[in-house]
Amino acid sequence: MRPIITIEGLSKQYRIGAYGGSRIRYITLRDSLVKMARAPLERLRGTHQPTTELIWALKDVTFDVMPGEVIGIIGRNGSGKSTLLKILSRITEPTSGRAELFGRVGSLLEVGTGFHPDLTGRENVYLNGAILGMRRREIEEKFDEIVAFAEIEKLLDTPVKHYSSGMYVRLAFAVAAHLNPDILIVDEVLSVGDVSFQRKCLDKMEDVTRSGRTVLIVSHSMATVTQLCENVILLVDGQVAKMGSPREVVEYYTTLCNSPAEGPSLSAVWSGSAPATGKEGVRNE
Amino acid sequence: MQLQTLPEQPIVTIEPRRSWVELRLEDIWAYRELLYFLTWRDVKVRYKQTALGAAWAVIQPLFMMIIFAFAFGKLVRVPTDGVPAPLFYYVAIMPWTFFSNALASSSNSLIANSNLITKVYFPRMIIPFAAVGSGLLDFGIAFVLLLGLMPYYGMAISWQIVMLPVLIVLTTLLASAFGLCMSALSVIYRDVRHALPFIIQLWMFATPIIYPLSLVPGKWRWLIRFNPLSGLIEGYRASLFGLPFDWIGLSFSAGLTLICFYAFGRVFRHMEKIFADVI
Repeated sequence: MRPIITIEGLSKQYRIGAYGGSRIRYITLRDSLVKMARAPLERLRGTHQPTTELIWALKDVTFDVMPGEVIGIIGRNGSGKSTLLKILSRITEPTSGRAELFGRVGSLLEVGTGFHPDLTGRENVYLNGAILGMRRREIEEKFDEIVAFAEIEKLLDTPVKHYSSGMYVRLAFAVAAHLNPDILIVDEVLSVGDVSFQRKCLDKMEDVTRSGRTVLIVSHSMATVTQLCENVILLVDGQVAKMGSPREVVEYYTTLCNSPAEGPSLSAVWSGSAPATGKEGVRNE
Repeated sequence: MQLQTLPEQPIVTIEPRRSWVELRLEDIWAYRELLYFLTWRDVKVRYKQTALGAAWAVIQPLFMMIIFAFAFGKLVRVPTDGVPAPLFYYVAIMPWTFFSNALASSSNSLIANSNLITKVYFPRMIIPFAAVGSGLLDFGIAFVLLLGLMPYYGMAISWQIVMLPVLIVLTTLLASAFGLCMSALSVIYRDVRHALPFIIQLWMFATPIIYPLSLVPGKWRWLIRFNPLSGLIEGYRASLFGLPFDWIGLSFSAGLTLICFYAFGRVFRHMEKIFADVI
């Protein structure tokens, strides 16, 4: 059998440290002009030094995924898990390397992407479905199922800004759970809602994995990973540190985490002022 | 486990881009439903929780018309090519309002939708296009008032109205072109936010809106013509008032519009690869 995903030497470099700390967020035209004017002068004087520091968020990652395989990706904050998923979802480009996908990709990096607070639940189901790559017909067919899954029938025509946060994520997850691609890419979105809804999400994910779909899932919950995945990849500093059965890799990871002596390789490159968690809200601050 | 037959060729190949890429408008076509939904969202959201709703689409150009007709028609007495001043201004204000609103909202659209850019893949051009598209509805509503104004001032519609759809398409393309350029720039340079209102203001005076092109001395007219919008605005007047078309000026504007659209589209496609990392 041929793999459905082949990844060869995938690497991603980010610049950090420019303009006082975090990743480049706001460059102003003035900064660029000043830099442009200064650079040749400094080069002449020999005082030119790069203002940015480069780090590899992902370095030379290579692996294949077979059709129907469910792969878990674990690792510390900043180990490159989210970056890997973002590259595979085509949100950002790799700096080098190559990946080939032999199937339609649906990615779920966040629950409720594109939800608009002023639109009603009904409207948001359509909008969010379209954003996640569903066809209009597909959404119409699954609409009742989605609403039933989210258990929000009564509030369908209320703007979602009046929803409780639990109802909000339930609706958002319900839309996402009805996504039907060949390859599903999921980033830490299963822990939403109350305990009973979390149970429901996990069950839904189990259904998905059993339906023969290929799934890549990032999680910090070792229980989830062990329960859902057939193979697990451990990323450390953007590199594949271990790959194998869930039990084996999770055990290895736990010992790594518990022994700070082995620290140097594990101490995340992001450590210090700017923690890079999978949650964009934190990363972008 | 269900058996899957994998395609011979990968559906998606991910690798770093090495050079400039093509426009690939067919990608937009593949994602037309998303374009529709984002446009629809922008329209819906614009008038949520407003008391007057879509009436705003008429109020804005109507009041501008009243002010212009008073200030430039009554006080300054700008000649209006023999057309009643209020009509003369309204017909130019309509497309201008569309153009300037479309340009402003599309320029800001990528930043406003940064949550989409960092979380989902789709052709990025859809975002500024949707912002322009949502303005088309307002443009259409503004036309309704014209249907009342034309008979009121005793103006009849001539065959030249057939050019109107062409003009609307060109105006939309022009707004999209500059929207693409400005929105891509705004991802990297937040200066755009400050520069834009100012650019739009200057642009209005560089376009024959409060004056007819015929008022501009012959030796300066070529300069005004380099503003692709001027040929279009004059075209709207000719088309609706049955005045003679300035075919050379109109073709020149159309050519410039297409060139801008292509060039800025390429620039956008070139810059889009860093959007998710920089925004």
